[in-house]
Amino acid sequence: MPGPSALEENPRLSPLSRETAGIPGLDRGRLHEVHAAPEDRAAALAFALVSACAGEGALFLVRPRGRGGGHARLHGEGLARLGLDPMRLTLVEARDEPALLRAALDAARCPALAGVVIESAGRLAAYDLTASRRLALAAERSGSRVVMVRIAAEPRPSAAFSRWTIASAPSSPLPGAAPGRPMLLARLDRRRGWAGGQTRWHLEWNSSHGLFRALPEAPAEAEAAPAAPLPGAVVPLAGLRGRAA
Amino acid sequence: MPAETPFALVARSGSALRLAAADPRAQALGLAEGMTLADARARCPELATLPDDPARTAAALEQVLARLGRFTPVVAGDPPDGALLDVTGCAHLFGGEAALLGVIQAELAEAGHALRAAVAANPAAARALARHGGSDVRALPVAALELPADTLVALRRAGLVTLGDLAARPSPTLAARFGEALVLRLRQLLGEVASPLTPRGHVAPLRAEERFPEPVARTEDVLDVAEDLLRRLGREMEERRLGGRRFVVTLCRADGARRRLAVETGRTTRDPAPVMRLLRERIEGLADPIDPGFGFDSVAMAITRSEPLAARQIGLEKGEEAVEDSVAALVDRLAVRLGPEAVYRLVPANRHLPEVAQAALPLSEGLPRKAASFATRLGETPPRPLCLFDPPQPIEVIAGVPDGPPLRFRWRGHLFAVRLAEGPERIAAEWWRHEGAHSGYAQGGALTRDYYRVEDSEGRRWWVFRHGLHAEKPHPSWYLHGQFP
Repeated sequence: MPGPSALEENPRLSPLSRETAGIPGLDRGRLHEVHAAPEDRAAALAFALVSACAGEGALFLVRPRGRGGGHARLHGEGLARLGLDPMRLTLVEARDEPALLRAALDAARCPALAGVVIESAGRLAAYDLTASRRLALAAERSGSRVVMVRIAAEPRPSAAFSRWTIASAPSSPLPGAAPGRPMLLARLDRRRGWAGGQTRWHLEWNSSHGLFRALPEAPAEAEAAPAAPLPGAVVPLAGLRGRAA
Repeated sequence: MPAETPFALVARSGSALRLAAADPRAQALGLAEGMTLADARARCPELATLPDDPARTAAALEQVLARLGRFTPVVAGDPPDGALLDVTGCAHLFGGEAALLGVIQAELAEAGHALRAAVAANPAAARALARHGGSDVRALPVAALELPADTLVALRRAGLVTLGDLAARPSPTLAARFGEALVLRLRQLLGEVASPLTPRGHVAPLRAEERFPEPVARTEDVLDVAEDLLRRLGREMEERRLGGRRFVVTLCRADGARRRLAVETGRTTRDPAPVMRLLRERIEGLADPIDPGFGFDSVAMAITRSEPLAARQIGLEKGEEAVEDSVAALVDRLAVRLGPEAVYRLVPANRHLPEVAQAALPLSEGLPRKAASFATRLGETPPRPLCLFDPPQPIEVIAGVPDGPPLRFRWRGHLFAVRLAEGPERIAAEWWRHEGAHSGYAQGGALTRDYYRVEDSEGRRWWVFRHGLHAEKPHPSWYLHGQFP
């Protein structure tokens, strides 16, 4: 059981709550992939950034340079609300895909970082088995978490240690029908050696503990289920393909 | 400011504002250094003033001294507002002492400085003549000795008015009555004792050059020589306790073409290795590659920006320093490859609208010592999104009531049904930044925004706003501005 034993080895393994047994975190020294639909970009980034920032050291976010037309910037106050000091986060903007991967590789090789998050949208043709293997080796050597966030991309064979699909989930409303705390639905698609039964968790942001806490059972399951066209899938795959093309 | 207005610099001394300096027009009206500002204003109500800034005065003096360097190599500053030039052996180049004085006067008048100048046989006398006027040292008033006020009063009471009066008395008597300092000053002014100048030092530039007997055609070989030059400069910087921030390499080709390459490091360094790494990175990323042509015949390395850097203790264990260095090296490398503005951190900006409330601070410029923190704002404002769209995305909205939150909205062809909504948070336009804008939209001001935090049926949380109140605009449009996790 690599998941729980790894948790015991390293108490700062991941900000996912340790109280709920059986959630594998994003381990140090590994490459992880996080997939999400374009509408769930904020949820995927929140999951990746919060998971990668555990421990000491700086955090690098490598992303494509915005070209206007609805380019999403990060907002410092939003980061601070996720318990992430914006002064710890260095943003790197690359002008094209090869430059993005090269900058990410350089950052992954740096031994002083807590984590590197790579944000990409679309197919990202340059990210193949070789490129992912390079990133995985760099992460192993430097011991930092490398998280590849892929928005609107189809899963592709890669050397990643684990692959997640993240979607926003309905929050528990605050009084006055106001949206509640950040809530995500995390689905573990793949993880080397993972034998735990559960692969879906509802994670709610807990600001007093500064971590995502898994809810014991999905409270919004009944509401969320009719919204998804395919049973079991969080992200409508048809929609994904249409947008990625 | 009209040119005729008297002008003075004001400094705070104790609890009073006093004049620190007055221009000739103000002096003509009887204003003098040390007078309180209230007194000065009583005499001259139209007096224009600025706060005295000693640092800027010193910088201006430094500039003047640099300018005067072309008349003689020995230039000394006489702070706060004087300069002493040793023109021995230089005056004839300008046609004599009087002509030299004229040239200097003209030069400084051109730069906007008023000048009083004098030539004398020794620096102390020249200084006294320039400051107190006249052409004969013996006719100068005793104030030219610049002694404490009580000594000067005592001298005047004794009937001694000019330096000539003093010089006529035997010096042991003067020393016994008024102190050794008076005699020393007097003898300096009369040229009996030397008053040495301390000339302004010239800082040698950090520069090294290598000329080749034969042109070298391979860029790699030339870079090896550049590394050697860096090592040489590193030793020189170590002696001077300096470190470089900006390194410029000039490659001179045999046909006379020159190529300059500059790299900047985020941390002050004397180590050639990181600089060479950046240089290679720079050469690799050049739009037009370096063409050796028939070869390079010389290479020069100059450090155009340097900072103090104390000798470094070589640690026995690899501590924090190594970690800091590796992050700095990574930042430098990325900044050279992607451009300095592509590697940044987010810092809060003191602005009101959400899209300008933060700024991107390039890391290559170094971090401010005391950066404001976003965390202090958390308690004050309602939640802000993680992602912010730039520019805000126009959406079509169906709202229940004109002033209410949206019921559903359409963005990029998708329909989102709103399940939960919170708001509005009203954010007014920054009316203080535009003239006339505070009088409202009808008078040319900007629109008010009403922000809502909404959650759609699939659990995505969005930040939408209505651009304009219904009172401001009949059919206000809606925008999607951000997304919450």
